[in-house]
Amino acid sequence: MTVLWIPLSAALAIGLTALATSWAQSRIGPALAAALAEKPELTTTAVILLAIPETMVILGFVVALSILMRGGT
Amino acid sequence: MVKVRILGPSPRLTEVLRVVQDVGILHLTPPPSRPRLEVHAPDRAELRRKRQIDRAAADCEAAITGLALGGRGETVSGASLSQLAQWARLARRARTGAESIAARRTALDEEQALLSRYRDLLSALESLLTARALVPGATAYHIVLRRDQAGSVPVLRGALHELLGGAFELLTKTLPSGETAVLLLVPKSDAPRVDRLLADTRVQEMPVPHGYGDSLEIAIPRMRERIAAIPGERDAAVKELGRLGRRDGPELRRARAAFRDELARLDALPLSGATPRAFVLEGWVPESGDPRLRSALATAFGAEVSVERVSQEQWRGEDVPVVLANPRLFRPFETITRTLPLPRYGSLDPTPYVAVFFPMFFGLMLGDAGYGFAAALLALLLHRRSQPGSRLRTIAEMLGACALFAMAFGIAFGELFGTLGRRWLGLRPLLFDRETALIPFLALAVALGVIHVVLGLILGAIGQRRSHPRAALGRGLSAVMVLLIVVALLAAVRILPAGLLTPAAVALLIAFPVLVLLEGVVGPVEFLANLGHILSYARIMALGTASVMLAVVANRLAGSMGSVLVGALFGLLFHLVNFGLGLFSPAIHALRLHYVEFFGTFYSPGGTRYQPLGHWTPDAGKPA
Repeated sequence: MTVLWIPLSAALAIGLTALATSWAQSRIGPALAAALAEKPELTTTAVILLAIPETMVILGFVVALSILMRGGT
Repeated sequence: MVKVRILGPSPRLTEVLRVVQDVGILHLTPPPSRPRLEVHAPDRAELRRKRQIDRAAADCEAAITGLALGGRGETVSGASLSQLAQWARLARRARTGAESIAARRTALDEEQALLSRYRDLLSALESLLTARALVPGATAYHIVLRRDQAGSVPVLRGALHELLGGAFELLTKTLPSGETAVLLLVPKSDAPRVDRLLADTRVQEMPVPHGYGDSLEIAIPRMRERIAAIPGERDAAVKELGRLGRRDGPELRRARAAFRDELARLDALPLSGATPRAFVLEGWVPESGDPRLRSALATAFGAEVSVERVSQEQWRGEDVPVVLANPRLFRPFETITRTLPLPRYGSLDPTPYVAVFFPMFFGLMLGDAGYGFAAALLALLLHRRSQPGSRLRTIAEMLGACALFAMAFGIAFGELFGTLGRRWLGLRPLLFDRETALIPFLALAVALGVIHVVLGLILGAIGQRRSHPRAALGRGLSAVMVLLIVVALLAAVRILPAGLLTPAAVALLIAFPVLVLLEGVVGPVEFLANLGHILSYARIMALGTASVMLAVVANRLAGSMGSVLVGALFGLLFHLVNFGLGLFSPAIHALRLHYVEFFGTFYSPGGTRYQPLGHWTPDAGKPA
């Protein structure tokens, strides 16, 4: 049973955080696109803002790796 | 920075501004509000002069752009009125000339594009016309059928047969584009009926392009002539543009600089205060430049114009303009600091820390000697292709530093294009193998996070020690608490002696209420946010691992293709994609770690940019 749960947990850890990140970026993206149309000088700031939600999926990735390593997979 | 006040007789104001501009270090501020001291208000003549110079400067810019003279600048000091007028005439003439050549080139390009659309058709119709000499008195129709209309030819032929019997000729030829060129010859008397038939069957005759004659028979030779003549005419226009550029370029560059300087001085006039007899100018100069300004004004005007320092009691710290001044090695990284609003005067310039940590984080994430070498080559190429002081040059210099770190960490991790270095050159990891040692890599990333955030908190404490001593103590205590947590965790996992766990925990319990006392409820919230920020550095490990895994996958794919050539091509493509990602992602995330995690602990934005009145350069307007 553990054999099933370990990869499933790892998949959930990365999958759910990836969904959360993509949802956040989908909300930020259009707002930034509109802002950039008016103020192109904000490009660098925009890229940074878009990168902020990636923390979730990155931490999800770390957690998924930890689960897999602890499970010995 | 020191604030200075320049006083002198009103008629000398323009000349004083000219000398101030030559020295180029005074950042002017609005005059102080004093009774009987009025802000300079431009009169009608001055406004007219400004409009004229504005127009002349615009003419210069348009001419320089039109003649493709590039961004090289000249410095002009003290141009006379007659010289300015001469330059204004030259600028207008050069602009008109450049615009007329540009219009001619556009017209030639458009004509060439139009004729190129007809090129295949001309060949087809010409061959049809040659194959069948025109019947005297016949009317010719030239038709082009789209690819999906090719089936209409038999239908058309049938309809014509029904209408005219055998009194027509219908010749067709398929074009390379798949369209069909049709030549239809009918007796002149039957033309009206054929017109109606074509309209009913929705087949349109191809129009003869405007200006080449009324019929294709006349137009085709003319169009052929134009096709042959256009490249020559275009070359002549380019040569003429080059000749104009060589003839007027140097003068236009000087004119542009002179007009811009003149405009800057006119714009500076409203920053002066005036009484009926005297003027006053106030502004900021770097402390080291103050004697230079005094000496230049004394040399030019003697005792007529005086310079005095404004005492510190008369100005506020937040009014002082800011200039980032770093050693040459760190200077490219000022761009990263400048992306945010400038730091307040008296606060810390984070550029030196950025210059160390940014390439280090980048190098840790890319961490491959091969990719690092490729990045270094790219940096070298950009460096060669860029002008000193340009944005591209700055990017090249930053990329160079990042590439060096990437190569150094690549050697430490034993990586050259993933695992190729190990297989081909016998490279061995000196630090650890990123492919397997995930926990040591994570520990290294978080440890760097601790160092970075604690450094930020310490810098924040130092920066605020005078203005906000309580907040400074809070920052310092937060830094200590972070370190206590690290000690407690290391003691808990037996890396440090277990005996340290209890004292660290007790110290934390004592420090927590002190933090609340110092900073209120915000203190613990910020402290927890800082802990979250430290964990955020795990991205270094995540991106680093992703980078090495992609490189390994590229090598494995290359090896599993069967054919050596296909495998090598596939592997190269995959490595190229990984290299692109490896440049972009680490840069974005290293930036984010600085802006959000590091700067958040100490950075005080709100500084005004130091913009001294000086001579115009092509880089003016860009951050100094």
